[in-house]
Amino acid sequence: MGKKNVISATICLVAALTIATVTGKNFMDVKAPDTLHPSANVTETKMLSDYFGDLKGTNSDTPIYVFKGSKPGGSMLILGGTHPNEPAGYLAAVAFLENVKVDQGTVYVIPRACNSGFTNNDAQEASPQYLHFTNKNGQERQFRYGSRAANPVDQWPDPDVYIHAGSGQQLSGSETRNLNRCYPGRPDGNLMEKTAYAIVQLIKNEGVDLTFDLHESSPEYPVNDATVAHEKCMDFAAEGMLELQMEGINMSLEPSPTNLHGLTHRELGDYTNTYPILMEAPNASQGRLRGATNEEMALTGKDKFYVSAAKLGFVYVPYDENGHPIEERVGRHLQGIIEYTKAFSSIHSDKPVSFENVPGYEEMFTDTDPSQLGGPHFGSFLN
Amino acid sequence: MKLKKGLAFAAALMMVVSMAACGETGGTSSAPQSAAKSTASSAATSGATSSSAASASVQGLKQPIAEQPILLTSVGQSADVEMVKTLFKKINIDPTTDHLATADSIGNAKTLVLAIGGSSKGLGAAGIDADQELARVAKLVDAAKDKGLTIIAMHTGGQTRRGELSDKFIKPAFEKADYAIVVADGDKDGLMKGLAASESIPMNTVDKITDVPDILKAAFK
Repeated sequence: MGKKNVISATICLVAALTIATVTGKNFMDVKAPDTLHPSANVTETKMLSDYFGDLKGTNSDTPIYVFKGSKPGGSMLILGGTHPNEPAGYLAAVAFLENVKVDQGTVYVIPRACNSGFTNNDAQEASPQYLHFTNKNGQERQFRYGSRAANPVDQWPDPDVYIHAGSGQQLSGSETRNLNRCYPGRPDGNLMEKTAYAIVQLIKNEGVDLTFDLHESSPEYPVNDATVAHEKCMDFAAEGMLELQMEGINMSLEPSPTNLHGLTHRELGDYTNTYPILMEAPNASQGRLRGATNEEMALTGKDKFYVSAAKLGFVYVPYDENGHPIEERVGRHLQGIIEYTKAFSSIHSDKPVSFENVPGYEEMFTDTDPSQLGGPHFGSFLN
Repeated sequence: MKLKKGLAFAAALMMVVSMAACGETGGTSSAPQSAAKSTASSAATSGATSSSAASASVQGLKQPIAEQPILLTSVGQSADVEMVKTLFKKINIDPTTDHLATADSIGNAKTLVLAIGGSSKGLGAAGIDADQELARVAKLVDAAKDKGLTIIAMHTGGQTRRGELSDKFIKPAFEKADYAIVVADGDKDGLMKGLAASESIPMNTVDKITDVPDILKAAFK
């Protein structure tokens, strides 16, 4: 072997080891959970595995923050991070738990419902790995931007066809890792089915009356700026919707299809006594028409291609140069939680839930200096 | 050697281009294409009607025309029917609500209220398609006309309830209506104003859905 070959081989080997070390560390780092700082009013922190022991030690085990009010009442569950590539769903749950003071009833918050999905990114989507904010104390906070579905490392292989256990509904194989296609779950199923099962056990064991599942959708998806509700929720959902319209929030109310299975708004309503509500806000960074995908896009929602698409009538939400900043998307979710909870508590007066100190749409978005949108203003609500 | 390098570069370029085009196709990827088509065609439809609407002259309701009891139904199976039901509650009127009302549902009703707005989720929930919904509504309004009911068409969902699917349900509802109430954001192109003008029916337009109860109350004797 010539001297030149040895040198070339050594250089290649060192380069390969360097790349493997850097990417390997990054691969392991994303498994570390974000540090959350619940408000001083948190009364207990549990784990999802407390409701189904099989999750203990898996990447699906995740914290549940419990806030008990001083007065007895109903109970409520907020699911953030069902789809970890929909940041407003996750961050609305975070903003809620870092600020809330519950007066009446009990509120459970699971900010990372699909914890496994926070440990990877969707392949070939060029999604950012992290979102960064400066909190109210001037410190940097970092949150994961994950994938729509569970990490394949945790649940593999995908079948060719995913058959929903309860209904026999057939979906593409990758949907077997989508938590929001696995409800009501089963104790002997795959990891996502077990995760769904654990959440259902929480709802049943704690007698959760009202459940919110927070999402985002691409602007070209017809169900956007929307609330999807089980039929048994329609009375208070319509009341809440009117209040949202009063707040200047344009939102449509959609009935949960009876023939689309595995989703919270269908199965939690059918299999438990809870009243499930799912909300969607527009997120360009998960859309198909987007341009360069990065942290800025995820936080500001600005994208020139969506502006063009809107001019051509190709999207289902208004889209202009101002985008849809994270404050608007989180504010919609939080105001939705506020109004639907009020309407629920008014109609179901035997199980009221009330809370305070949660920033609403005005505080989070409309009353804000536009230069502070796209992250800085949201950060001011973090501990 | 140059040829080899050129070929290698071309091959690498093709690989990069093909990978960039291989976006994940799971989840909602089929929706955007249909969405794009549907909205484009609805824009074309709207464009055709807006010129006539621009010159349309429509007056608001001058005096009450409707009486209780009321049968409230959806036209398009959106949850806007629940919103309209809630608006009635605000003025202490309790309509009989039947999302899938037929001629047999009319009973002793004196007024039929049509909550217009298409929803693919709602149609799916009802287990019907748009054509079946249109057929149901056509039979219902014909029967209501035969029995002398007052028909009120309500489009309260704004821009959200426009587009190819929702627009299918607007014309059939307006054609047989005696009066229409519309939230302005849903009629920026004047489609409904144009229909009200061509059918010579009164129509009131409100800025917000929360303005509807007062207008609705004024319609009842």
